[in-house]
Amino acid sequence: MTDINVSNPTEIKSGTQGSSLKAKIDKGRYFLLAPGVLWMVLFLIIPLAMMVYVSFWTQTTFAVNSTLTTKSWVTFFSSETYMNALFRTGRLWLTVLALTFIIGYPVALYVGQLIRSETLRTILLVTCVIPFWTSFLIRVLAWRPMLGKEGAVNIVLQKLGIINTPIEVLLFTEVSVVIGLVQIYVVFMVGPIAFMLGRIDHNLIEAARDLGASTWTIFRKIIFPLSLPGVAVGAIFVSVMVLGEFATPAALSGRKVNLLGNIIVTQVGSLKWAFAAVVGVVLTVVMALVITALLRVVNLRKEL
Amino acid sequence: MMELRGLEKSYEGNPAIQNLSLSVMDNEYLTLLGPSGSGKSTLLRLIAGLEQPDDGSIQLEGEDLDGRPAYMRNLGFVQQKYALFPHMSVFDNVAFGLRYRQEDPLQDASEVHDRVSRILELVGLLGYEERMVGQLSGGQKQRVSLARTLVCEPKICLLDEPLGALDANLRERMAIELRRIRAALKVTFLHVTGNETEALAMGDRVVVLDKGRICQVAAPEEVFSAPTSIDVAKFLNAYNLFPGRGELDGFAYSGHLLPIKCDARQAHFYGIRYDHIRIITGNDDGAGFKAKFLASEFEGARIKYLFERPDGGVFEAEMHLGEGDPITLTPNEFYEVSWDPKEVLLFDTSGELLKSNARGEVAK
Amino acid sequence: MYHLNGLRWTLGIFTALFLVFLYGPFVVMTILSFQQGPEGGPQFPIIEWSTFWYQHVLSIAEPSRVAPLPIGEALIRSLTLAFATMVVSTLLGTLSAQAFRQNFKGSGVVFYLIVLGMMVPGVLLGLGMALVADQFDIARTWWGTAFVLHVVYTFPFSFLVMLAIFNRFDKSLEEASWMLGVDPVKTFRKITFPMIFPGVLSSMLFAFTLSYDEFPRTLFTGGSEATMPIAIYGTFAVEIHPNLFAFGVLTTLASFALLTIYGVLMALSVRRAKIQSSGLQEEIA
Repeated sequence: MTDINVSNPTEIKSGTQGSSLKAKIDKGRYFLLAPGVLWMVLFLIIPLAMMVYVSFWTQTTFAVNSTLTTKSWVTFFSSETYMNALFRTGRLWLTVLALTFIIGYPVALYVGQLIRSETLRTILLVTCVIPFWTSFLIRVLAWRPMLGKEGAVNIVLQKLGIINTPIEVLLFTEVSVVIGLVQIYVVFMVGPIAFMLGRIDHNLIEAARDLGASTWTIFRKIIFPLSLPGVAVGAIFVSVMVLGEFATPAALSGRKVNLLGNIIVTQVGSLKWAFAAVVGVVLTVVMALVITALLRVVNLRKEL
Repeated sequence: MMELRGLEKSYEGNPAIQNLSLSVMDNEYLTLLGPSGSGKSTLLRLIAGLEQPDDGSIQLEGEDLDGRPAYMRNLGFVQQKYALFPHMSVFDNVAFGLRYRQEDPLQDASEVHDRVSRILELVGLLGYEERMVGQLSGGQKQRVSLARTLVCEPKICLLDEPLGALDANLRERMAIELRRIRAALKVTFLHVTGNETEALAMGDRVVVLDKGRICQVAAPEEVFSAPTSIDVAKFLNAYNLFPGRGELDGFAYSGHLLPIKCDARQAHFYGIRYDHIRIITGNDDGAGFKAKFLASEFEGARIKYLFERPDGGVFEAEMHLGEGDPITLTPNEFYEVSWDPKEVLLFDTSGELLKSNARGEVAK
Repeated sequence: MYHLNGLRWTLGIFTALFLVFLYGPFVVMTILSFQQGPEGGPQFPIIEWSTFWYQHVLSIAEPSRVAPLPIGEALIRSLTLAFATMVVSTLLGTLSAQAFRQNFKGSGVVFYLIVLGMMVPGVLLGLGMALVADQFDIARTWWGTAFVLHVVYTFPFSFLVMLAIFNRFDKSLEEASWMLGVDPVKTFRKITFPMIFPGVLSSMLFAFTLSYDEFPRTLFTGGSEATMPIAIYGTFAVEIHPNLFAFGVLTTLASFALLTIYGVLMALSVRRAKIQSSGLQEEIA
């Protein structure tokens, strides 16, 4: 009744049918993927490609035409205004990134590691997210009465006797822009780091403590390295949003601080498509460099 | 009933199933025994249609299953961790297949109720219909999983280590239950396990699988008393196996000449079952060798005696308490062990059992 | 853990200060929304407490030199847009995540193609789309060019949420259903979907919130009919009044109320399930 290990050459043809079912499964997958991929190609890749293309078009006063030229590029790199905006964008981005990390990490450490009660942790995280239910633009505007010469900060500091005369550099300067950006985006740094810290197995830390490691050593050798993917993800979020900003600087600097984003808005407003596209491509390159560097630290797919 | 022919399956170049052929008969309890990584779960998934073979064919009642998706095969599959639907009650779990299957779904609520009740009675869970899955014990979950599968009257019921997740005490009870339920429904069971005792105790036939190939298919008694290869013998965990060289008058092993009954010049391995060993406390002619006693293990109905082999390995002897009173040995003392040469199995270089030396033929 | 107490306190105080920093503007905004109107401006000191600006937002204040906020229609547009975005991006996200449950060739490329949608700054995407629309004579509307960009932005979030959900989903449940003769479509409806539903909900919540508040992408592609954030941005250019603050407080309260209702409903259903199961246990005992 039973034949063991008897190969039957006449049956080999059936193997091809087996792989046809496999092909069916693959086909099913393409049906699942097609809408999403198509959407992204049409409305993400093509617009970005278009931007690169248009950056080489010829810009006249009120129109563009598709004669290819590098004139807009030359204008960009020889203009002090544009180059200043580029450096200002870089400076502001690094400042905000550093500040969100310095302010966000201790908070994430507290929420993710030092709080044992699950309920309290959830409450704290929800508390951090609640401000997002107010419109982003209104949140930006709310900084004006905070930072002005007669603003809340000056009033409080004067009442406390810390200062005598109100600080004037608070509003409509780069400082106000930085403060606003940090407040709006710091939560994006706290969230991923707290998530990674919360995942650390407490037994690991207990074990290290049993082996006589000091708190500082445990932090340096265990906690910090394990939280790095969270830092990278947070940095990606903050970088993406700060590099593309234009509303916050516009609202809090009285249009004195112009980032690359602001230049794009102005150029589009005056129908200077080619110039806008050049600035866009520069910004894209900066973004790509930053994200690629950060993705070396973290494998997004593995962290899910 | 079901024919597997020349099945092949590999994952990224690592073969999991190699040229495997097997016939499954109607109304039988077939156990599939193999160590982890032997491909036994893969084989089950190939039959179920959850994986596609690279080559070969599966025929069920003469029909080729190739290209037929899992939900069209009319096979039952009881998963290792039960895979009960957590958002449904016991009743809804069991009724799920009847209600929603593609072929011939049951519309009539009273008929669904009757059939579910009947099967729940068979598995001993009548009265548990409204419970949620989370409120069940492991053994109860196992029964629900079984009932859910059997209520659809599959042609063959595939069971993936069904007793693996249960604790020892429950396992024995469930094993008896499984045999009873199968006998009542007369459905073929294909039961995969990594436990040799379970495979031998439960199967009408046992298939021994290793490295994706079938080593032996036979009744449990035959597998136990005449494993066709040294791998099977090793896996049964019931044989002392000695490497060495067969001579005309015996088997040379580590300076000893072990007794044989016939020409053994092809033999490279020498096997003797634990329960065929005699421990000589007085004087005897000495068919075996002297070994240092290490320890004994009491296992309920039997006692295992562990000795040190001449080459440093462990040598085991087993004594069933039904056959006599246990003997007391002193650790680190040397004792003579011996056995009937008739019971010896010899294997050739490639580990195959030498037919001419198989038991019975030797005796002639 | 004794010596950790000092650290715990330090970080606790730091976190408290952090929350003050986070909520400070909101508190100040709330206070100033009760500024006297219509003369009182969006700054201290409070001339006199009043609810004038709330009445102004709701168009029940006496007419004054301050133009009413152009909400109304903009709000309806924003809600419609957010709803459509939510549906489409959750659908796309679920489909794509489903395809990602088994590894396949090119999965890395597709993964980063999708994730790119949330990584490209809105202003770039808006610019790119505006260029495309300009070149191909496509009308720029909030329900067309802006809508597709909203989905480009929220689809990656939905996708990642669903991917995380599927990663934790026990595949053997689906296999069990197939083996009972139930086809994949019905299996998805009866088994997979009920179990991933919490993930679908949070994906919807994500997409709705992001789209509702989306601004840079809409700015270049939304056309002449403004959505809510564009309407607010429009008031930037001119003088701002405390009516914006009143509006901010009102919308926050509204979304807060919605969230509370959602939370209460969830808690209730959890409790009901608990009562049901405990009742059963007694019955059997």
